[in-house]
Amino acid sequence: MPETRPTRDQSDLADVLELVLDKGVVINADVVVSVGDTRLLSVEIRAAIASFDTAAEYGLQFPSGTDTDRVAAAAGVPPIRDRPEDQATLDELGIEAATSGGGSGNDGDAVEIEADEESEADDEADDEAEPEEVPEADDQD
Amino acid sequence: MTDVGFEEGRYLYCVVDTTGEGPEGEAGRREFTPEGIEGGEPYVVESDGVGAVIQPRGEPFDSDDLRRVKRWLIAHQRVVDEAGQAFGTPLPFRFDTIHRGDDDAVREWLTAEHATLREHLDEFAGKWEYRVTLTAAGEFEPDDEDLADLRARIDEAGEGEGFLLEKQYERRLRELEHERDRDVAADLRDRLEPLVTAVESVEGSDLLGEGSGGDRVAGLALLADREREGDVGAELDEVAADPAIEVEYTGPWPPYSFAPELGGEE
Repeated sequence: MPETRPTRDQSDLADVLELVLDKGVVINADVVVSVGDTRLLSVEIRAAIASFDTAAEYGLQFPSGTDTDRVAAAAGVPPIRDRPEDQATLDELGIEAATSGGGSGNDGDAVEIEADEESEADDEADDEAEPEEVPEADDQD
Repeated sequence: MTDVGFEEGRYLYCVVDTTGEGPEGEAGRREFTPEGIEGGEPYVVESDGVGAVIQPRGEPFDSDDLRRVKRWLIAHQRVVDEAGQAFGTPLPFRFDTIHRGDDDAVREWLTAEHATLREHLDEFAGKWEYRVTLTAAGEFEPDDEDLADLRARIDEAGEGEGFLLEKQYERRLRELEHERDRDVAADLRDRLEPLVTAVESVEGSDLLGEGSGGDRVAGLALLADREREGDVGAELDEVAADPAIEVEYTGPWPPYSFAPELGGEE
């Protein structure tokens, strides 16, 4: 039986995203600024991936305090309301499985990201729009 | 360009051991010229054998463009990876951690936190994070008396009663599935714990939420010596021998899941 080896190939993008976004050293010091909304970014990415892939039951996973309007905007769907009864899944909200480049998993250049280069063109302007400054590192959950 | 954020800051990628005892020693260090986020040029500022990999940045990276954010995350990871190759196991920082002030401010922080950083660098030296995810392959079809009994009654029942029995059937099936997941996770942990330094459960937070198309059964983050990769793999082979279970094994990663929370000076 062949021995299983750990992988680090491009299909492991999910691990990269989770580790870099949700894990790692956190500093609690007033000399350090951390994005307060790491959680938000995390959710946005989930939304994006959900829209690329399956989107299944996605809306139920938003942590409390999430700026759902921004998430919805990012995912290109109508605003998601906060009331639990309205926490429909993104799927129901009309995210099409835009699988043009997606497909679940191992389609080669996941790490290459589905980059439309135009989005890079607007670089710094977009980059500096409403950064969220928080005087303390945001702790996880 | 804007008056948000602050005048000067340094984006922190990771902290490394600069005593030259890493895998490449001094040679690796000279070759450490990674490309940073948004074309930044990370470099090392050090104090007494502890170095911070940084690049100038006055405010957090923030964007609504998800592809862009993903590129940043990957760029962050690439820098941390290269730092690991040059200096040995790094202490990876969470994305978007920025130190206020210039290089000197970072150096002061390194000096102030020297003992703590040194301790963690030593603790992680030669150790890396590995991640194991088990997913269920195919339908879950347990051999269970209750289920068989319910199935038989459903077949004989009328529409109304049949509906209720179906509900019971589903409930029983979910119950059994949870039991299976719990058992598999416990077994996995028992197998791997003797081989590694630390184990943490990973809740079902994998961002793609897809596993290999099946249902996620269990997930663990392991902190292990690189030499134990094969031992862990051999153990996983046995787990994977069960056709109902698929195993994903990734690594080596910098020890993100085991990284400490560092207090400030106050």
